[in-house]
Amino acid sequence: MSLQPLLSRLQPWARYSGFWLRLFLLLAVLYGLAPAPLQIELGPRQTVESLHPKVCVHTRLDLEVEEWKIQRTLSLVREMGASTIVEFFPWAYVEHQPGQYDWTNFDRTIRHVHNQGLSVIARMGLVPDWARPPVYEKVTTLQYLTSDHFDEFAAFVGAFVARYRADVTAVIIWNEPNINREWGDREVDPAAYTDLLRVSYQAAHAANPDIVVLGGALAPTLADDEASTSLNDLQYLELMYEAGAADYFDALAVHTYGMTYPPNAEPQPDKVNFRRVELLRDIMIRYGDEDKPVYITESGWNDHPYWVNAVRPSQRLTYTLEAFEMVEQWPWVQELCLWIFRQPLDSHNPRDAYYALVSSDFYLKPIYEALQAYARGWENPYEMP
Amino acid sequence: MTKLRRWVYHYRIAVLLHAILFAAVIAVWVWTRPGMPFGSQDVTWHRSQVNRDLYVGLDPEYPPFTQWTPDQIEGLEADLAREIGDRLGVKTTILIMGSDGFYDALLKGDVDMVISGLHVDPSQEEWVYYSEPYFDGGQILVSRPEEKYQEMKQLDGKTIAVEFASSGDTEARRWERRLHSLSIQRYILPAEAMQAVLDDEADAALVDTISARFFLKDQAGLVMADETVVSEGYVIAMRQASFKLCQEVERVLEDMKDDGTLEEMISRWL
Repeated sequence: MSLQPLLSRLQPWARYSGFWLRLFLLLAVLYGLAPAPLQIELGPRQTVESLHPKVCVHTRLDLEVEEWKIQRTLSLVREMGASTIVEFFPWAYVEHQPGQYDWTNFDRTIRHVHNQGLSVIARMGLVPDWARPPVYEKVTTLQYLTSDHFDEFAAFVGAFVARYRADVTAVIIWNEPNINREWGDREVDPAAYTDLLRVSYQAAHAANPDIVVLGGALAPTLADDEASTSLNDLQYLELMYEAGAADYFDALAVHTYGMTYPPNAEPQPDKVNFRRVELLRDIMIRYGDEDKPVYITESGWNDHPYWVNAVRPSQRLTYTLEAFEMVEQWPWVQELCLWIFRQPLDSHNPRDAYYALVSSDFYLKPIYEALQAYARGWENPYEMP
Repeated sequence: MTKLRRWVYHYRIAVLLHAILFAAVIAVWVWTRPGMPFGSQDVTWHRSQVNRDLYVGLDPEYPPFTQWTPDQIEGLEADLAREIGDRLGVKTTILIMGSDGFYDALLKGDVDMVISGLHVDPSQEEWVYYSEPYFDGGQILVSRPEEKYQEMKQLDGKTIAVEFASSGDTEARRWERRLHSLSIQRYILPAEAMQAVLDDEADAALVDTISARFFLKDQAGLVMADETVVSEGYVIAMRQASFKLCQEVERVLEDMKDDGTLEEMISRWL
């Protein structure tokens, strides 16, 4: 049998084989030129060196894409002398389908937290699509959670607490539920929040009896007029107690900002300042909760050039250090966590860029170095001019 | 010959068919572009034109850009919002909100645009359109007119005055590492840093543009560089779906820059 007919049929293909071979080689070379993914070496586990264990910062690693930035951020936190971070763990990022958790991103963050020897206060929130009304029915924000999905949220909290029991010491149930924006653009509802707290508390403690469940995390606000759909934090806390919240949190999470006042400014119900935390503490005492500690999970001063609630950078630095010294004298305060350590892009929130301790390109601001000196017992490198 | 003619005939037919197919693909692509007969429509622009309204989100906590007086919302950004409305032939309604809620309000359609010192945020660019900047609030060099400095690299061997622990201080420290020598003098307030230049204690001051403009308004003898050292462009945020509105706002901004209205507005407040 002759091969000639077969060869003649293959001839046109053979004519182009050089082209295909060259194309293949070119693609192979281009593939070889592509940068290899960054290799992240964890290295030996680190320990935090600090004389002041109440020094804590709120990070925003949930917004981070590249792993090396998570590692760099957390190593700077450790080097500063903060032993705890507050970090956001959005429900919507992990439970894309009901009951199916994808922990990949959270695992990545916790792996680095563990490696740096830090512990985590986890802020829980952000509702997945499937737990909100379909968009053709109602346009909602990611903070929109109705009571028929409280159990699913609680299940997520329980699963989270069980998975990260070695590194997560406390969980914050929701963020600033006393302002309508954080309550899904609806009128705030302390009784409904208490219900959410109850189911979450039960799920968290069932998963890990040692977990500290933080309730509240209320926004310091003076909103109390009838037109407002938000509620001031003092009133809201009282209504939480009235709704029976006392049995469903182990400690109160507090947001207390200095605004334009020095840290020692007297607390007053009609003023938002650092010592407003004392007014919240008074309410706790009034409801027999004096033994519960307070975790200040957001605090600080802002040095934006023209925001009405900002101070000058020199004031910010001085006030922040004074606030830490004050908190040392308050045994009922467990942590003082500064908002915000760093944001991935300073343009993300122009105002928050002036709360940050480190710029988005990891440049250490003077306040970082001053805090590091305080936490680690070094001499303050910044003498006031 | 006949064979060749047939080949030419078939070749022509093939070319014609390909051309028709190509034209059809192009036509489908063009007609389904946003704003075209079979493409998505800008419902915001349509509503704005029918109702003659425009909803703008502002945060009144940033004077002189936006501030809340007993009578009204005023400031550079409030003026800008109203001017855009006027030039589009619609009535501007200003909605007051906290800066934390801007993007939610935009997403939900509570407002058509936000004018409130926003910077381009790449993490929102999937759905948000950012206009060209209407103001640059970044760090700028201020110096004496006879020795005007435009760039940091001109300050090698010189003394720079900054506000202690400010963004200008941070930037000066970066340049301290890049230049052969740069001496940094720190002051508590930006005005003190600029005064130091007037008093010959420093060659230039690096301060935010807003502080610089305020100081220079009352104080002769100093000039600002033509451009900022670190740019902080303030932009208008709109939904990308409002593509027609975005185009119109860009056109209005361009016109305002060309006819001097924008600069006049900035000078009125800063």
